[in-house]
Amino acid sequence: RWYATEASASTSGLRLSFVLPHQTIYKGVEVQQVNIAATSGDMGILASHVPSIEQLRPGVVEVIENANATKKFFGEYTNKLGTNYLVSGGFAIINPNSSLDINAVEAFPLEDFSPEAIRANLAEAQRTATSGSSEEERNIAKVEVEVLESLQSALGSK
Amino acid sequence: MSFAWKAAGISYLKYTQICARAVRNALKEEQRLIAQRRDEQGLKFAKWESGKQGELKPIDSAMGNVSV
Repeated sequence: RWYATEASASTSGLRLSFVLPHQTIYKGVEVQQVNIAATSGDMGILASHVPSIEQLRPGVVEVIENANATKKFFGEYTNKLGTNYLVSGGFAIINPNSSLDINAVEAFPLEDFSPEAIRANLAEAQRTATSGSSEEERNIAKVEVEVLESLQSALGSK
Repeated sequence: MSFAWKAAGISYLKYTQICARAVRNALKEEQRLIAQRRDEQGLKFAKWESGKQGELKPIDSAMGNVSV
């Protein structure tokens, strides 16, 4: 029978592996919660989450390492609880054993970004999106606009 | 679930590369220089005909278009 069995009480927390082709950010680290920006919507993953495979939008992945981290962070871009990474896209695989694999192409903490560069690149991408010479160029620019707008709002709200 | 980029004829691979490039170009100076090296592709290809190698062409990472 393939009906779902009751989730076994997990003695361990959520085990996160967050990797890029060129770098490993987390490998098998036990964390409290991870918030992801999936194409199906924003999700918060805790231990014993329903298994799923989610495609990530260009957006923020927030890693909350432990519930008592509230006291530590005082940074312009660091949320009180967790570290925010902007990922360019990728996949999140939530496994039945409370492990979470996030594979992304590029991911950086929000403070690594330059608001001026974003503003300038966004303005140029918006120009190309409407007045680019070829349809392909315009479509590529539209994708860039989407990514940069998401990045801009991530910086703005955090 | 249909995506705008898919409808526009961009493959997922190209879409991912465009997003990655947009993210790299938005970084602060120091990080950006390191990250941009990842964008370069040294891949070249040549078409073979009747045992002869044709012209060696690089693959343009910006557009990712391969014209044979």
